[in-house]
Amino acid sequence: MTSVELELRQRQAQAGIYGTIKAMLHRLGFTPLGLALLVGVAVLPVVPYFRQEHILRWLVAGALLAGQAAAFDFTAGYINVVNFGFAAILGVGAYTSAILANEMPFLIVQPGISPWIGIWIGGLVAGLLGLGLGWLTLRLRGIYAAVMAWFVGLALLGLVRNLTPLTRGALGLSPPTLLPGAGNLPYFYIIFGMMLVVYVVLRQVTLSHVGLAFKAIGQNIGAAKASGINPTYYRVLNFALSCAFAGWLGGFYAHYYASLTPATLMHTSKTVEVLAIAYIGGRGSLWGGMVLAFPFVFFIQHLRSTFTDLPGLHLVIYGALMILVMIFYPDGLSGLWEATLEKVRSALSKS
Amino acid sequence: MEQKTSLADALRETISENLAATIILVATAVLAVWLGISAGLSQVIISLVTGGMWALMAVGLALVFGVMNVPHFAHGESFMVGAFVAYFVFTPIRDYLAQNPNPALTAVAPFAGMIAAALAGAVLGVILERLLFYPLRIKSRAGEWVMNAFLLTVGISFVMTNGARLLIGATFRGIPGYWLVPPLEILGTRIAVDRVMAFAIALVSIAALWFFLGRTRTGRAIRAVSQDEVGAQMMGINLNFIFPLTFSLATAMAALAGASLLFMFQAYPTVGLTPLYFAWFVVMMAGLGNVAGAIVGGFIVAVFQTATQQFAGIAWTDVIPTALMIVILLVVPFGIFGSEMEE
Repeated sequence: MTSVELELRQRQAQAGIYGTIKAMLHRLGFTPLGLALLVGVAVLPVVPYFRQEHILRWLVAGALLAGQAAAFDFTAGYINVVNFGFAAILGVGAYTSAILANEMPFLIVQPGISPWIGIWIGGLVAGLLGLGLGWLTLRLRGIYAAVMAWFVGLALLGLVRNLTPLTRGALGLSPPTLLPGAGNLPYFYIIFGMMLVVYVVLRQVTLSHVGLAFKAIGQNIGAAKASGINPTYYRVLNFALSCAFAGWLGGFYAHYYASLTPATLMHTSKTVEVLAIAYIGGRGSLWGGMVLAFPFVFFIQHLRSTFTDLPGLHLVIYGALMILVMIFYPDGLSGLWEATLEKVRSALSKS
Repeated sequence: MEQKTSLADALRETISENLAATIILVATAVLAVWLGISAGLSQVIISLVTGGMWALMAVGLALVFGVMNVPHFAHGESFMVGAFVAYFVFTPIRDYLAQNPNPALTAVAPFAGMIAAALAGAVLGVILERLLFYPLRIKSRAGEWVMNAFLLTVGISFVMTNGARLLIGATFRGIPGYWLVPPLEILGTRIAVDRVMAFAIALVSIAALWFFLGRTRTGRAIRAVSQDEVGAQMMGINLNFIFPLTFSLATAMAALAGASLLFMFQAYPTVGLTPLYFAWFVVMMAGLGNVAGAIVGGFIVAVFQTATQQFAGIAWTDVIPTALMIVILLVVPFGIFGSEMEE
């Protein structure tokens, strides 16, 4: 009897520890599986295949896309406004940091500020821009807000293209890298860390009462107002945060790829790429797009290197996937996962 | 005398009821006159021609939104398809005519390209509606349709642009002109026949659409659906006929615009972006779903655009009208002519 009781107590204690850890993880916004996936990606470079420089570049691209998808979903999935000028805002962050780092005589300013500082300023500028964009789209809902954000994005793109003394226009900039002469491995850990920061911060916000207010505004703005939620404050806050992270990631882009042109960075099609990942991953989940980003980048890159004679095939697949998801499974990957979990649970409880 | 005062009263009433529209219209008129004085009449005529084309694009956009509640982001791709079809139909005919001169055929050959483009657009519209929008409409939950449809068209746009690059290649395919004859003299300015024809085609198509919507049974059914979908269905209107028809009409008009502007916009996978952008401009300003407003709006935006080109340089045509647009939308979020849409 005593031995049975002891075992039971031990089990309870174990469950208690496990439960506490799980609860702590949940507070940070991770499930055990999610954390395992993250650790898995983080140790990928140990595998020789992933240590090749061009594969590391794909991992960097994956983490960058994952961070963008989370930042995009923060607006699209929570307050239900599609920020169609997302890529342009990201571009402004990238350009800000690149111009601040400039030491070359072909621009009218040569501040020569270290990129390590510049990317924060880029994020700040993008955040302020997001504040403005949030305010501009405040009175607009749904499609009106999306189109307004699109117009703002186009105006920003045009502005960057035209302010040639600062940006060299369509010629583009070649800003200095974060770690001159370094390989891709340290960059991977930098962007991986940045991606984690984006996720954890945004998750903290969505888990708090602010996130609840976002969801309320996204679902029914009238009812949210009636419950005493001030949509102005929350919408502007949401835009500012999302755009600040976009600009911050843009700064990394600038000082990693060391090549910026308005068309490759700020074009509407760039927004669509992020949007497609965020929606296929599942709106309103933050993690759906992040989980999808890594395999997706690998798939796309393999496709590109296999069918070099078919440029744009990967983009066709992008669009086709997006169409299929919109029609057949608008909840996306995260929705599919939740539904499967629910099924498994109900099956277990029945048996 | 009595009539005059009532006219003035009516005018005053209209102005006070719709201040924003009046201000914009007056500003556009002033800008057009200023453009005419400082840059010559040709600039005004260019605005008119461009305006006709933006109107043709925007009318389709407004129609699709008004009737089907689809914010159509792939409208520019219909333009692109029209441009390609016109190119591939017209150039062989032109080459054949170069070998075997025939003045009568040379005069009508361009129409073959344009009609082919419009037909291709119409077919494309039906296919897209049946293949994609129909299943989406069945699956979509209430209240999510507009945004889902928008994202669907984003996907369509992506597939069509990159599909065109894949299939046809990223080379510019243009023609020097449809009618290679000396330019016409209109009010002392010389203007290319192609431009005059493009304007005429836009006007005729818009007038035909107007007649169709206003005077025919089917056209009235389309308008009924745009006003009240459920009510229209109760009156025996078949949405499975009206929706493909509407979408096909809009696509055909955009394709026609692409075909008749081939001399200005060379056929290219992403050629549709600029027309799409300006068409959205027009419908946002006029009020989404407002077909009549889209026609007027087309000309207003064209004047803005030509004036920017003239006074600030061609590089600023993206920035200045956009900035203006943002200001207008800040003051009147649902367009200067208002919109029937409520969310």
